[in-house]
Formats: sequence, C-alpha cells, structure tokens
Amino acid sequence: MDMSDKDKLELDNKSEDCMNYHSSHLPSDWQYDSNNIANSSTRLIPNEHPMTVCRGGLSAPSCSSGSMANSFGPTVWQHSQPLGFNGIDVNNYASTSNPLGFSRGVPGSLRNVVEPGWEAASSVLKGGLFLPNVPGHSLSQFPADFSFIERAARFSSFSAGNFGDMLNYCGDHHSVRPHLRGGTVMQCPQEAFHGNVMKSVLDGQPQKDEITVAGMAMGATLLGGHGPTEWGPSKNEGSVERSQGVKMCGNESDEAEFSGGVGDQEEPSLMDTCREPSSAKGVCSKKRKKSGQGVESEQANGVQWPSDEAAKANSEIQHTGDQNPTSVANKTTGKPGNQSSKASDPPKEEYIHVRARRGQATNSHSLAERVRREKISERMKFLQDLVPGCSKVTGKAVMLDEIINYVQSLQRQVEFLSMKLAAVNPRLDFSIEELLAKDMFLARNGPSSTLGFSAHMPIAYPLLPPSQPPAIQPALPAIGISSDAMERNVTSHLTHLSSGYKEPTPQLPNVWEDELHNVVQMGFSASAPLSSQDINSGSLQSGHMKVEL
Amino acid sequence: MNPHPSSCSNGRSIRTRFARRFLRALKKIGSKGSSSRPSPRDISWRCRRVKIAADASMASAVGPRRVWSRTMLNMLRSRSHACLHASRLGNSRRPGADRHAVGKRKRLVLKRKLPNRLGLNQVNQLRRLVPGGEAMDLDILLDETAHYIKCLATQVKVMRSIVDYCSA
Repeated sequence: MDMSDKDKLELDNKSEDCMNYHSSHLPSDWQYDSNNIANSSTRLIPNEHPMTVCRGGLSAPSCSSGSMANSFGPTVWQHSQPLGFNGIDVNNYASTSNPLGFSRGVPGSLRNVVEPGWEAASSVLKGGLFLPNVPGHSLSQFPADFSFIERAARFSSFSAGNFGDMLNYCGDHHSVRPHLRGGTVMQCPQEAFHGNVMKSVLDGQPQKDEITVAGMAMGATLLGGHGPTEWGPSKNEGSVERSQGVKMCGNESDEAEFSGGVGDQEEPSLMDTCREPSSAKGVCSKKRKKSGQGVESEQANGVQWPSDEAAKANSEIQHTGDQNPTSVANKTTGKPGNQSSKASDPPKEEYIHVRARRGQATNSHSLAERVRREKISERMKFLQDLVPGCSKVTGKAVMLDEIINYVQSLQRQVEFLSMKLAAVNPRLDFSIEELLAKDMFLARNGPSSTLGFSAHMPIAYPLLPPSQPPAIQPALPAIGISSDAMERNVTSHLTHLSSGYKEPTPQLPNVWEDELHNVVQMGFSASAPLSSQDINSGSLQSGHMKVEL
Repeated sequence: MNPHPSSCSNGRSIRTRFARRFLRALKKIGSKGSSSRPSPRDISWRCRRVKIAADASMASAVGPRRVWSRTMLNMLRSRSHACLHASRLGNSRRPGADRHAVGKRKRLVLKRKLPNRLGLNQVNQLRRLVPGGEAMDLDILLDETAHYIKCLATQVKVMRSIVDYCSA
C-alpha cells in the first residue's frame, strides 16, 4: 500500500493526465515517449555547452513526462534520455511538463512505515521520486519514468556496493518494469541500496518488492554491468544508456535528479527546487532544496556513496529558464550558506547553479573558478576544431602553441598576399565583374585552400621566418610564407586547372622558387612538380601548377 | 550547443563584405600609383597600404561587435591620425613598425625557459597576437581568438583569390 499509495498520491497531484490508474497496464504504460521528453526538454535549451545541459537534462524527462515533474523543468535532454527510457510510458502522465506534484501529505500510516527509508530516499531522490500516498492504487501509476530511472541511475552510482542484495531480486521480477521499479526504489535512498530498508518496505507490499528489484536492477546496470540480465533488453539498454548518460553527464547532472525526490513528499515545491543541483550525495556540502533539506542532509550524510561514481557525477550546472552562462557571479548554489534558499525557484531563474564536486572545496570562489575552467576548456575544444591539425593535440600548452603558430602564419600570409597584391596592383582595374568572379573563386578556393594548408602546416611552421615589413626585391622576407602561399596557389590552381599565368611583373627573385620547390615537393605529391626552370622559362603546361611569382 | 555560428554562413557574409571593402581600397591604392614600373620604394609603400587596407576592411566588415575588431579599428584610426600629424611635421612614420616591434617582443618571450604549467607564456603571446587581447579574460580571449582566426582565414582566401584573378 505504501509505495503504490504514495505513487498514486503523487499522481493525483500531477495533472489529470497523470491520473492513469491502470494497474494491469504497468508494463505498457511505461513506454517512454521520447517525443514528449524531447519536446519538453527542448523547451528549455540552454545556451551552454551540452555538457552542462546534461545535468538538467537528466531531470528533464521526469518533468516532461509530468509524472515526477521535477522542478528541473524541461531542460534539454541530452544523450542519455532518449536512450534510456524506453520502457516508460510518458503518455500516461501529463505530457506537458508538470511541476513536480509531490503529494502533499503522506498518510501517517504510510509515513511511519516508509519514514526511515523514505526520508533517506528523499534526500537522495529530490528530483521527484516521490511516492504519493495514494491508497489502494496499483503500482502502475508509478510516476517513476525518467526521473526514477535517473535517480536510480544516480543512486546506483552512488552506492555501488549495495546492490548486491538488490540484485538478488532481479531475477524474480523479470517482467517488472525496471524504470517503474527503480523509481519507487529510489525513493529510499541510502537504505534502499543497502537493501535493508527496501526489504522491509518491500515486505509490506509485493509491489514494492518489484519496484525495489527494479530499482536495484537499474542501479546494478547503472553501476556498470552488474548485469541485470533478467531485465528485458529494452530495460537493459535503457539503463545502460542511462548509465552512459550518467557517466557522460557525470560532471553535470547527476544527483540533482535524485535530490529532493522522495523526501519532500510534503512539498510539491520540491519539484521546483529539484532544479537546483541537489546532489544525492550525502557528502556533498551543497544543500538540497529547502523542504526536505533537513531530513535529507541527515540521511545523505549517512549514506556512503561510492566515491568514484559520486565523484564523477558531481558538479552540476543547471540552467534555469534564462541561461546566464557568463554570469559567474550568479552562482547562488555555490554559497554554502544559501542552500535552503534555493528551493522553489521559478522556472525563469537566471542563475547558474553549480554544485561542488565531492571532496572538493565548496567555496564560492573555487566553484566560480571551476566554471571558468570549464568554459575555457570548452573554448579550447572549439579552437581545436578551428585550427587544422590539432585534433590529436592534448593539453593546453601545446594547443595554445598551435593556435599561436596558426595565427602567426595567417598574419604572415596576409602580409605576403598584400605584398603580392601591391606588386600586381597597378596592372589591375577592379570592377564589378571582378567582384563576382572573385566570389566564384572564393567558393572554389575555400575547401582546397584549407586542405592544402592543413597538409602543410607542420612544414610551413619551420619555414616561417619572422615577418618583417618586406621590400620585395631584396632578401626575401617571409620566405616561409611565400612557400605557404605558393602551396595554396598551387592548390587553388589545381582546382581551377588554370592553364597558367602570364608572368606578372617579375620582381620576385628565384630564391623563392627554390623554397617553394622544397615545400611543394614535401607536401604535394599530386601537384605537378614546380621547377624554377618552368617558372623562369615561362613555359606553362596546362594542368601544371605554376607558382606565380 | 555551439554558440559559435557556423563558419560557412558567417564567413560568406563577412567574406563578401570584406571583399567589397578591400577591393574598393585596392582601387584607391592602385589609382594612386603611377602606371609606370614602380620602384621598390613604391612597392613597399603600396604593400603597406594594402596591408592596412586589408586589416581595415576586415575590421570594418566584422563590425564593432568583436573586441579585436574594435581594437583594430581604433588602432588604425589613431595610426592614421598619427601619420597625418607626423607627415605634417615632416616625419614619415611607418605604420608597420608597430607590428614589427610586436613581433620582436614575441620572439623574446619565446626564449624564456620557465616551467609553463598553465601555458601562461602562450597566453601572453596570444594576447599580443590578437588585437585587443591584453585586457581580456582567458575565456573571452579564446573566443576572440577563434573569431579572429576565422576572419584571418577568410581574409587570406579572399586576397589569394584576388591575386589569382589578377594574375590570371
């Protein structure tokens, strides 16, 4: 009665769609409607890096499904979501993201029974794993779906060691939907995992038993291969994916989902607070949502989370309605003293909540520092894509070196090209046709230039001498650049297959040709070999790339 | 996720804008020179002018949205003013000298052998490379660097295509 009752109660609090009491339906009901989740999750698309979004994302499904309507709201549901929650039938529950509808009051009798486990669970499952105290309803209304699964995932990650007991149950309840079960199970945070509380709880209700088993199974899978073979493939992959998602989003989303789930039965506002990164980790100094916080923190502290997983899924940056990624100052959750005030944030909060990692300082400064570091690393990754030939480079210093070299080489190329333009300029009469033609050239040159350049970057670098304001005829300035430019000319010409150039006003000495020749030979096997003789003699062969001097 | 717009869509518009301005500037420069065979001095002068034109047209094509473009425009403006004043006073000031000096400073920095755990050397170098980078935080600096690289690449492509077109 307890678990199902709670579930029902919770469902009641949700939108009427949630009220879907089909006890027999349970398996089918839990088909995850990815669309719902995706739709709702897309509603809140943070500007931040997806990594950070993940944190909120994990909670999103619960919100979107409307069942456990986390206060996390429809954050973007990144990798893990669509994969993991196949079994959950979101349709049964409000498709729109409902605010977490924690049941207002757990019946006294129920509470007594579940109290020990639930309170602990609540601390862990803030996200909305709330079991409404709905008497007499079957477990099918269990609004676990995503939120549950996530929490289960989180939960399992936290207490990896405790799943042994729970695994025993796995085999028995093969048909039981893991998600569903997991959700309910999750509600008993630490104890559940220890297996004791759950058992006691389970003993009371056979349904709960299933749930616990499911939860355990989920936890087991999430822990990376405890092998809930009993569960159906969909479940497995769901949980596996979830675990992947959890791992992927380890840094971000994690506990927030758990937090505030179960414990705050009294407080529907917990759902709102679920947005807050309330990690299930007891050790985390970050505070939970206001409501269950007192209880949760007690229990959370009591739980021993496996350090590795917990540590991984620690920091969480949540994006509320208005992402404000650059506002480091807005991290309210970082402040140790403000935990309780976080709760009941409206969806349009502008702060970025950061949660301290397990075992790390929770000082607001260090949190801000961490966010800043993450931003920097994200931008470094983007730069890595931009600079050719940097995909294998790891490490900031080397990457920065590459970037600096690339910028310098680009600047020198501009210098060299301006030199060339100055040389050929007097001959030219620019006109509109030229513009149009140039656009055409640009379109064609784009890819080829890049390719040519990337191939020769390592070669080009050593050749680049320090750039100086050149006089064209005297000692060749920026010979390296000329080589680069020549190469690129060659590349571009390759694409055009221009028949050749009329020699421009001959100003550049032959030394460049030698340089170019070396470089070209190194880089361009495809291009026709350029020889100074060819250039000097002016004999142009179609299909051969002539370096224009 | 990516806050940066795709380089293709952005590059094309920036590219076109830059190309137009640059060609206009080139026309002006070309019209100034004599049609007869230019002396090396003329060529070097023209080269500098072309470089300035390239930087100016790129910076104006980007607009004042970016720190580096703003800095570059201010630099060019002040430089041109200084040039005007200097020429009035009878001094011929070389606009390229600044860049040269910067390059020298960069080289000196490279010779340091201190342990470089956080890449501070490189960061300082990068600050000098990117216009306006001295007064930026690291994350903003990296942002600006990415945009600057993109614009430089566009600049190189456009100039190269112009050269190819002119030489063809």
